[in-house]
Amino acid sequence: MWWIWLVALVAAVALLAGAVVLVQARRRSGTVIAVNRGRAGRGGGR
Amino acid sequence: MNTLVLASELSGRVVVTLGGEAVAQIKDVVFDGPAGRITGFTLSGRGLLAGPLKQSLRFSHVHAIGPSAVMIVSQSLFEDRDAVVGRGEAGRGRVLGAPVLTEEGTDIGTVADVVVETGSSGRVVGFEIAANDNLDPEHRKVFVPRGQSLAVSGEALVIPAQAQRFVADDLPSFAAQAEAFLTHMRQR
Repeated sequence: MWWIWLVALVAAVALLAGAVVLVQARRRSGTVIAVNRGRAGRGGGR
Repeated sequence: MNTLVLASELSGRVVVTLGGEAVAQIKDVVFDGPAGRITGFTLSGRGLLAGPLKQSLRFSHVHAIGPSAVMIVSQSLFEDRDAVVGRGEAGRGRVLGAPVLTEEGTDIGTVADVVVETGSSGRVVGFEIAANDNLDPEHRKVFVPRGQSLAVSGEALVIPAQAQRFVADDLPSFAAQAEAFLTHMRQR
């Protein structure tokens, strides 16, 4: 029955690796952020 | 006019020094709503397990934005993350998905993306909007030009009512519509 422990170990490592990759992918995913620093633009700033 | 690009397409683009070293990749695109310009980028590290960096890149330090990479002179130009966007600002200012209102108070959809002029200006030219019934019965994604007096935050984007008359279906035709809108606003 030693192989049960081997399967459990492989499953645990795979789950951990998947979780790490998912978390990192989410942390790295970008977005667009608006801040309020400048003066009001006139005609698109030209 | 310089090439137009969607801000979301800049996310993930590799940051490379003129010495050829890939030092980071773009995470968030940060723009100043009132000024209508990109102010900088937050960064992620390179590699599978690399997370966000505590450094940022000001737009004024960008040498060039190319189709494959963002070029900088040197990694020493990176600054503290707060130099581009504070933690509070990052939470409040996420514009993707924010409702779009005209100055007359009509809800016309949600922000799908931000259209940016490449080159040295970093000018925000307009927005891609996931339209609702008030703008397009077919609920397509369309492009509208940025207004003169723009209010933009994670809460809402407010555009001039006239901007609805200069809607484009795709990015190539949007360049002409944005120019026409600017001319229209100057003549008022």
